[in-house]
Amino acid sequence: MVHIKKKKRPDPEIPTSSMADISFLLLLFFLVSTVIDVDTGIGMTLPEFIPADQQTTVPISKERLAALLINENGDVLLNNEVIAIPQISKTLKPRIESKIELPANKKLVVSVKTDRKTNYNLYIQALDQVKLAYFEVREEYAQRRYGKRTIDFNEKSEEIKDIREKIPITISIAEPEKIKS
Amino acid sequence: MTFKKKRASSTAGIPTSSLADIVFMLLLFFMVTTTLREVDVLVKFKLPEAKAIEKIENKRLVSYVWVGTDGRIQVNDSLTKLEEIQKIMYAKRTALPNIIISLRIDKGSDMGIVTDIQQELRKASCLRINYSAMIKI
Repeated sequence: MVHIKKKKRPDPEIPTSSMADISFLLLLFFLVSTVIDVDTGIGMTLPEFIPADQQTTVPISKERLAALLINENGDVLLNNEVIAIPQISKTLKPRIESKIELPANKKLVVSVKTDRKTNYNLYIQALDQVKLAYFEVREEYAQRRYGKRTIDFNEKSEEIKDIREKIPITISIAEPEKIKS
Repeated sequence: MTFKKKRASSTAGIPTSSLADIVFMLLLFFMVTTTLREVDVLVKFKLPEAKAIEKIENKRLVSYVWVGTDGRIQVNDSLTKLEEIQKIMYAKRTALPNIIISLRIDKGSDMGIVTDIQQELRKASCLRINYSAMIKI
């Protein structure tokens, strides 16, 4: 009797060795693309609280003051002249630049004043413009003096200290007028 | 004549090579669904947009104050009255001297409430603030 040998079929198999690689790829993709949300915003320092009876007024010369007024209708005044919000930074820049080499007590002071009914968004837009003017002046100064961008400096380096000293950001938030019908 | 015991040609075993992948999948699932510890925000607000914004690197120092579209104020996990902010913030500041207060204020708010909060913060000597804003592109 002739024995017919059955051909043995190989066991069917799914190649699993690359599965780990695929999951690694996925893992990497999510690791790279995940954004842990960072807080962003406009940083400010409030003045210390001094009771009304102890407050003293210090005169500031017109030369170093930029008074920004925003009323409840959204009209903006810069040094008593009507201005559109996107123009603020352009107008302030030359004034900040002209004071780079002056001593600390002669630098520009920007005073932002609003009404109680002023829209918060407008206030932020105006403040943003003021900050933008300062940042641009700092950036240009850093380029001219050190040939670097401000973000490339070490946080504790002498250069950044110099930039902050030459172009300090002085923004005063005036209290809104209490009596307003 | 010896009889050979019949044995199955394949050996029994649980395939363990894919176990790692299953674990990976689980890991991924949790990575995707997890949100880092966040406070329940009870007020509705939309942040303003700005260009000249800074990032707060040190999240540990940040404490939030929310103001919603309806003018309600939230500090920590609960809605708060304006007068209570000073007390809460003073306690926070004593625990963390260089605290930064991030003001997440709805862009439709009036400056009145913003100023009132700022006055309270000044009384509590929390002077470092940050007007939270989105990046304008």
